Amino acid sequence: MSTDKGTLLLQAEGLKLRFGGIIAADGINLSLYKGEHLAIIGPNGAGKTTFLNICTGYLKPDAGKVTLNGREITGRPPRSITRMGVARAFQIPQLFTGHTVLENMLLAASVRERHWGLLRNLMRIPERAEMEHLLDMVGCADVRDRLASELPEGKRKLVDIAVALALKPEVLLMDEPTSGVATADKFGVMETLMKALREAGVSSVFVEHDMEMVGLYATRVAVWAQGIIQMTGEPKTVLNDPDVIRNVIGSGEHA
Amino acid sequence: MDIILLALLDGIAYAALLFLVAVGLTLIFGVLGILNIAHGSLYAIGAYVTATIGTWLVANGYNPWLTFPALIVSAILVGVILGGLIERLLLSRIYTKEPILQLLITFAVFMILENLQRMIWGVQPYFLDTPLTLLGNVSLAGVNYTLYQVAFLPLAAIAVLVFLRYFLRHTTMGAQILAVTEDREAASSIGINATWVYFVTFVIGASFAALGGALATPTTSLVTGMGANMIVLSFAVAATAGLGQIEGAAVSALMIGIARSFAVYLAPEIEVVMPYLIMVLVLLVRPNGLFGKETVRKI
Repeated sequence: MSTDKGTLLLQAEGLKLRFGGIIAADGINLSLYKGEHLAIIGPNGAGKTTFLNICTGYLKPDAGKVTLNGREITGRPPRSITRMGVARAFQIPQLFTGHTVLENMLLAASVRERHWGLLRNLMRIPERAEMEHLLDMVGCADVRDRLASELPEGKRKLVDIAVALALKPEVLLMDEPTSGVATADKFGVMETLMKALREAGVSSVFVEHDMEMVGLYATRVAVWAQGIIQMTGEPKTVLNDPDVIRNVIGSGEHA
Repeated sequence: MDIILLALLDGIAYAALLFLVAVGLTLIFGVLGILNIAHGSLYAIGAYVTATIGTWLVANGYNPWLTFPALIVSAILVGVILGGLIERLLLSRIYTKEPILQLLITFAVFMILENLQRMIWGVQPYFLDTPLTLLGNVSLAGVNYTLYQVAFLPLAAIAVLVFLRYFLRHTTMGAQILAVTEDREAASSIGINATWVYFVTFVIGASFAALGGALATPTTSLVTGMGANMIVLSFAVAATAGLGQIEGAAVSALMIGIARSFAVYLAPEIEVVMPYLIMVLVLLVRPNGLFGKETVRKI
C-alpha cells in the first residue's frame, strides 16, 4: 500500500487489551511507513511495552489486529513473526551468555538461513563475513570473540541490535534502546545504533522516555496515554505541544 | 592381582554402557527439564530390537559382521520412532506442567513399554553374542578378556562424548539447543523453533539410551526388568554427576561402574547397593552433584 507518506509497513488497527481492571490499549491505531523511526512516548505503565509485545506475538490483543505489508501478524507465534520481518530488541539485551558475540550473530544468521545439519559447523556458515560486517557497523568488531556475558552495557545493547539486524528484518522494535547505558555513553550508543539501522535500511519503532533522544532521532512521534494514541506528528510539533508538555514531558517520569 | 585387573576391565566396560544411557537421560533433563523414567524402556527395547535384527541376520546367512552396523541402526530406529512418538504424543503436551505430573507420565510410559516388551518378546532370555565372538579375545597381563568389552565399548562411549561436545559447542543445531535451554523466549525471538529443538534433543537422548541397550546386547542376556534396573542406575550416575552435566556423567559412570564391579569380585553382598552408596555419599557432601552448580541449569 502506498500513500503520500510512502509505503505502509506496519499497521495496528483498533488494538484493545486489558489486564484485569487495567486498560493497556483501548483502540490503538498506529502506522509505520518505510524508512520511518517512530518514537512512542507516554507515561510509565501506559501500555507502550505491551504494544511491542503484541506486535511480536508475545501477547494477544482482545480486539484489533496488526499487519505487516498488509499481512496479518496477530495470532502468529513469535518465531514466525520474526521470520516475516519484525525483529525485537528488549530493554535488557537477550544475548545468549554462554556464547561469544560472533556466535550469537552466527546463531541468528543460521536460524534465518535454516542451516541446521546435525554436524554443520556454526563458525563456517557462509554468512560469517556478513555477520562480521554487521558487527563492524555497530562498532563492536573489537568484542567479536568475547562472551556475551562479559560485555559492558553499551556494547551489549549494540550487539543486541546487531543480532536483530542479522535476522534481516524490515522493522525493528526497541524498548528504551539506551536504558541502562551510562549517561555519558547514551547518545554515542544511540547515534551508532540509528546509523546502523539507516545503513541496513531497517525502519524502527522505539519506546523512549528521554525527550532529547526523541527530538534527535525520531522521524515521527506518537503519544500514548489512557490506552489510545493522543497525537502523532513531527518531533518538534509534538514535543512543543502544551498538552504533551503538561501530561507527558512535565510529569517527571522520564529518567 | 588378576582379580583386580579383571574387576577394573569389567568396571570400565560396564561404565561405558552406563554412560551411554545416563548421558541421554541427563541431556534430556538439561534441555527439556524432564526426568524421563521411560528412558530405561528405551534402553531395554534398544537391546531387544538389536537381538531380533542380529539374530535374523545371522539366521538368514548374512555376513555376521553386519551385526555391528545393526547395533547402530537398531538404536537409531528405536530412538527416532519410539522416542519421537513419546515426545510428540505425550511430552510435548506437558512441558509447562508441574514436574510431579511429568514424572508420573513418564513413569506410566515406562510401565506401558515394560508390558509391551513382555508381549512382544516374552519372558525367556535373549542372546546375541555374534559381535563379541567376532572380535575375539585379547590377553592383558595374563588376563584373557574380550576385545569387544575392553576396547569397543569404551571407544563407543568416548566417541559419543566427543560427538556430544562437538555437537553442542560447535554446530548450528547445538547452538540452537543451548539457546533454547538458556532462554526459550529469547530463542524464539530470533526465530528458533523451540518445539523442533525439543523434539531433536529428545530423539538424540532416546537414541543414546537405545544405543546403550544395543551395545549391551552381546555382553548380557536380555531379561525382563533390565530397563527398570538401568533407569535406576543411570539416574544414580546422572544425579551423582549433577543433572545436566555431560562430562560429569562420564566421570561418575566410571566411578560407579568400577566400584560396582570391584564389589562383585570382593564383596558380592554389597554389589547391589554400591552405586547408591556412592550417590548418597556424594550428594551428602555436594547436594547438586559432583559437577552441578546451584540453581543454574546448563548442559
